[in-house]
Amino acid sequence: MNQKVLIVDDSKLARMAFIKALDSLRPGWTRFEAADAATALEIVQRDAPDVAVLDFNMPHKDGLALAAEVRQLNPQIHLAVISANQQVEVVRRARATGAAFLPKPLTMKALGDFLDDVSGPGESA
Amino acid sequence: MNEFLQQFLIESRELADAATAGLLDLERQPQDAAQLDAVFRALHTLKGGAGIVEFAAMERAVHAAENVLAAARAGQQLLTAAQVRDCLGCVDQVLQWLDTIERSGELPSGACDAEADRIIARFTGTVPAGAMHVPEPAPLPAAAGALPAPARELLAAQLALVREDTAAGSYGHLASAALTAAGVLRHGGREAEARQLAGLAAQGVEGLSAALLPALEHLLTGAAPATTVAGDSPLATPGNAAAAQTLRVDATRIDMLVRLTGELIVARNALTHLARQATTQASPLAAALKAQQATFEPLIDQLQRAVLGLRVLPLRVVFQRFPRLLREIADGRGKPVSLLFEGEDTEADKAIVEMLFEPLLHVVRNAVDHGVEPAALRQQRGKPPVATIRMRARRQGDQVLVEVSDDGGGMDVQRIRAVAAARGVATAEELAAMSDAEATGLVFMPGFSTAAAVTALSGRGVGMDAVRTAVERIGGRVSIQSQPQLGTTIGFLLPFSVMLTTVMSVEAGGQMFGVPLDTVVETIRVPRASIAAVGAARALVVRDQTIPVFDLAQMLGATGKPRHADEATIVIAACAGQHCGLDVDALGERLDIILKPLDGLLAGTPGITGTSVLGDGRVLLVLDIAGLLQ
Repeated sequence: MNQKVLIVDDSKLARMAFIKALDSLRPGWTRFEAADAATALEIVQRDAPDVAVLDFNMPHKDGLALAAEVRQLNPQIHLAVISANQQVEVVRRARATGAAFLPKPLTMKALGDFLDDVSGPGESA
Repeated sequence: MNEFLQQFLIESRELADAATAGLLDLERQPQDAAQLDAVFRALHTLKGGAGIVEFAAMERAVHAAENVLAAARAGQQLLTAAQVRDCLGCVDQVLQWLDTIERSGELPSGACDAEADRIIARFTGTVPAGAMHVPEPAPLPAAAGALPAPARELLAAQLALVREDTAAGSYGHLASAALTAAGVLRHGGREAEARQLAGLAAQGVEGLSAALLPALEHLLTGAAPATTVAGDSPLATPGNAAAAQTLRVDATRIDMLVRLTGELIVARNALTHLARQATTQASPLAAALKAQQATFEPLIDQLQRAVLGLRVLPLRVVFQRFPRLLREIADGRGKPVSLLFEGEDTEADKAIVEMLFEPLLHVVRNAVDHGVEPAALRQQRGKPPVATIRMRARRQGDQVLVEVSDDGGGMDVQRIRAVAAARGVATAEELAAMSDAEATGLVFMPGFSTAAAVTALSGRGVGMDAVRTAVERIGGRVSIQSQPQLGTTIGFLLPFSVMLTTVMSVEAGGQMFGVPLDTVVETIRVPRASIAAVGAARALVVRDQTIPVFDLAQMLGATGKPRHADEATIVIAACAGQHCGLDVDALGERLDIILKPLDGLLAGTPGITGTSVLGDGRVLLVLDIAGLLQ
């Protein structure tokens, strides 16, 4: 089943890269983009995405804090936090909010594994 | 270039600019945690972008800088001046790489790895893992005077204690030294730094000994915020919570909007023309047309202002490159100089802001080189040892005034007069008639340079006339004010936008020309016989001054010119103090036009700066008076 994915990153380049990877892995999925936490929360409420992928490193509110708020709005949502810094602390706190941790730059393999967890393998194309 | 690389360039430039601004702030206030966060985030995103476009060298280099900031962020130690400088060096390198990508359209090859290695080596050299770090003394020792002497003595005493106790490893002594120092700072009103030190005291013994020593040394030798001022208001940072909500729009889209608005104004001119013709007929339609046109006009004006307002940048964009450059220049000359900004939030057209860097740099170099006196002479004159250079910007109606002032020795007017006479810039009679202020303005004349010696900084044969040319090219004018012993101010009066030009229209040989109104001195009628042939050219004597006369019709190659037999209409125009006459057939009205740069067949035509389409569809050729006079 096609799902709705929200990508939150203040870098447009990072969003472009994510969407390119998503398009090749799950072509039919709907995607939403947000450059900041406030927009992300709006989209979560209005469009009820099934999956949200959040950048850890953002101004005002980091990805983990945002993950917790998103989780509160939608307990069913599949969450992932992306960060270039694989600090044990970040990974641990991501897991604690029930979010997967994806290393940055995002590889097709890492994103593929995460999407398989979300929707089951073989869903692509 | 693919869209990813394009986006990478856009984002990386913004991030690099933000990081530079933040780092310059950190240099003055290394304890500013919010600024540290902002710079860290900018570098982190910069690194992420490099990873996405697979630019490994840049990713590695920025990662090294990010690590230094991460350590400072984790409270392990305050950033040292050397570390900030290395981070700035890293960002500089990134900007150079971005320029290369912009030019070639692809990622740079091999050489970057060596450059990245050099940057990384600098960082690994300045952050010995676990070892104690001794920061370099800050470049401006005078800056340490911000704390009163007793406070400095107390801090120095704590520093001596810490040096001893680090060897002994006594935590209690270290913690009490930190708390004492914190108390001294709090007493001096420096709450943030006090908290930082008190925070250090709460750490375990390893953390404390490693962090306290550089922190105290920094307080005593480092640049203090109150005196090393490069702007009292901190530069805006991406981390500002109150940042205005902004959209990021490709500059080419804005340019398109500007172009369309330009076309609309041309169409408006046509409508105005029609409405004026219609008034000669007594019909209700004519009245209605006139009424509509009256509402239409101001709307177009507002639209134009709004559209041009989109393409503005604060002067800060160009100002913020100067604190670092000035320090390099000042260090090179051994003259301590501090830089102050005023009105750096003043906005001007993007094109103008971007073209200001070169002329400003030249003026700032000149100020250090020729304006600021050597330290000994300053002392003798009772001036503070650290000279001050101010960069100011403010809006004046439709114009923006940008000034650079120094508190140096001022211009030597006698010397200017002597040099001007010696180099034939002006005749002895002209010089005798000039006031001191007028004579000072001679430094802008071509071929004038008072540099006593050719230094590495200025006096490379590029004088103030190059500055004047650069400023006039963007439609601005230069000015100079100088007072002996008090200093010199160079001003650039610039248009707020580069689009609207006011011209006087004239007709010659059946062609309409526009003479930029700011160059028009007067119009006169003279007997044709008074225009004398001087070799291949023609000249006219006006008020005892011989000026060249240009025949506009002939310039276009219009053949045969039976003119009004006995009388000529001459427009006298001036640029940079030089006058010329334009022989025209008829004088037209004053017009506000959108100047289009020359392209196609006309490109490169000397004496013509651009074109504009008139209300009746005719093309107006706008004259470049400076070009004509060359």
